Amino acid sequence: MMKIGLDLGSVNTKLVALDGIKIREQKVVSSRYDSVSAGQELLKEWAKTNQDISYDLVVTGYGRVSFPEGKLITEITCQAKGCHGYFPTHEYILDVGGQDAKVIKKNPAGKVINFIMNDKCAAGTGRFLDFILKGLSLTEEELFEAAVAKPVNVNSMCTVFAESEVITLLAKGAKKSEVVAGVFQSTAIRLARFVESMAQPETLIFAGGGAHYNLLVKYLEQELKIPIVIPPDPEITVALGAALLA
Amino acid sequence: MDNRELWELLGMDLEKHDEFLAPIPALATELFFNRPNRPAAMSYFDMVLADVHGIRVKELYEKKQKGAKIFASFCVYVPEEIIVATGSVNIGLCAGAQFPISTGERVLPRNLCPLIKSTMGFKLDRICPYFQVADWVIGETTCDGKKKAWEVLNQYIPTYVLELPHKKEARDYRLWEEVVLEFADFVEKETGVEITEENLQKSIEVINNKRKALKRLADLRKNKPSPIHGLDVLLINQLAFFDDPERFTGQVNQLCDELDERVNKKIGVAPADAPRILLTGTPQPLPAWKIHALIEKAGAVVVGEETCTGERYFRNLTEPAENKEDMLKNIAKRPLQINCACFTPNSGRIEDIVKMTENLQADAVIETNLQFCNPYAIESFSVSKEMEKREIPYLRLETDFSDEDQGQLLTRVEALLEIIRS
Repeated sequence: MMKIGLDLGSVNTKLVALDGIKIREQKVVSSRYDSVSAGQELLKEWAKTNQDISYDLVVTGYGRVSFPEGKLITEITCQAKGCHGYFPTHEYILDVGGQDAKVIKKNPAGKVINFIMNDKCAAGTGRFLDFILKGLSLTEEELFEAAVAKPVNVNSMCTVFAESEVITLLAKGAKKSEVVAGVFQSTAIRLARFVESMAQPETLIFAGGGAHYNLLVKYLEQELKIPIVIPPDPEITVALGAALLA
Repeated sequence: MDNRELWELLGMDLEKHDEFLAPIPALATELFFNRPNRPAAMSYFDMVLADVHGIRVKELYEKKQKGAKIFASFCVYVPEEIIVATGSVNIGLCAGAQFPISTGERVLPRNLCPLIKSTMGFKLDRICPYFQVADWVIGETTCDGKKKAWEVLNQYIPTYVLELPHKKEARDYRLWEEVVLEFADFVEKETGVEITEENLQKSIEVINNKRKALKRLADLRKNKPSPIHGLDVLLINQLAFFDDPERFTGQVNQLCDELDERVNKKIGVAPADAPRILLTGTPQPLPAWKIHALIEKAGAVVVGEETCTGERYFRNLTEPAENKEDMLKNIAKRPLQINCACFTPNSGRIEDIVKMTENLQADAVIETNLQFCNPYAIESFSVSKEMEKREIPYLRLETDFSDEDQGQLLTRVEALLEIIRS
């Protein structure tokens, strides 16, 4: 008997298959605005290569409500569970996903005791960063430069306003690398205040697709002045938690 | 006279009104009429809901033909006894729909409380028959948004503004008493009916009876399992603002009799171990049912509302008195016991939340905050800290009257229920 966790996210859909506590398979595909189909595809593929193996399934992520099979658990509970195996003594998790950001507080057993989520707005989420970065269409070199560039101030956190602010900055002659650094820094500042609105943690787990952005991690550490730990695959910890709960 | 003739007489925009009403029957059927295990006595409230823009409006229109005035308000601080004493009518206003908001934004800022924008839109669009039948709007200076919106609304319908103080010191009581006395003069002048010891005594009794009935209903929700869904009680609380107070009271008491029986037989609307939720925060005017519907669809039961469409509306009664002067004084005293976030300090509200959580055996508190409502948004900081201190699971939801955020809200609610159940 295997345990499968399926995380139907707004941007990506992820699958983790566990044999006991050992990860047998993990997969990430784009949701393409239809995470349910993406999830079904992933599951079908898995079954093809693992014929005759039965499994328990937990489905999570925003697409879960429309998924035809499996037990449903929210991504908040799954995230805590998924991160807990890696960092059992850390209390706080910052999760920056495609369409929302959350701060989760877990107890020594890995259970959620409190959480907050961003309000009705995409600011400070993966979608926001993707949108701005896509608009800037950076070369590898520019992205590399951004890591050491001096960030310019980007005040607006509304996706639309921030984009026009970025355009204005570029028109004034700011370098793309400096603007990118600025976007990451201002997002980090916003996320830091978001974390602090819940608590003043001494350490923080950073998970979700947003944790892939090294610059965001760097500025977040600077802003919070605490050590930040990141699970090996920050994007799949929710699916992992789902599999553990299956 | 059928509804359309009536609406035409009231100068409504029939086409737009059709468009607004179109989705309501399906929604009401899904959320109310088709839901299993409802008390039989809900049928009266269902009937009122099914014809919410007809039957009662016609009654108001007929009353008006006979010389009564219709005063429309949307705040629990408006002293309705004074209006009722003169034989005139106090009604609530439509304020909880997304539909008219974009029209409201023609004259109001976008980043303003949806309740205010919705109200304004209803008037500008001419799609609320209650607004159309009303002679006056009775406003109050609760929050900045409403206070300034009255100035705009007054250009479309005469608006009288009660000056509500924002502290609860002795001088605030004096000011408010003066405001209430002035209001009594105004109502007398407008209706041409003198307020007397007799009619005031009677109206205090009538309105207190309405409050008592709603309190009785609220108390029944203490039982485990709860004999009634929160969504049904919310509907009743919302209709309390619109309906004829005496008839409404009778119907609520009839429902309570049935619920007494349910409690005796241990009949509930959900299993005894279903999570019990106390809701707190901003009001949910008709037809804002979204939050209750989400919570109860997720398997929990809403057992109380520390809101203006809940406890704040009916908890405090007006003390009876011997003479007219003292009666008016008591009418003024009552609302100042209500703990709204427009007051400072407002620690009484946090005490209310804690007490209600205990009394109702609630497992968690959900605070709903209409977007851009600053007083409640700011106060939620203190509420959340108190809940944390007492280890009461707490969730804050920011929302408006649109349906698009239901997915996000459901995830938050379900995660809270997972905390309770784990």
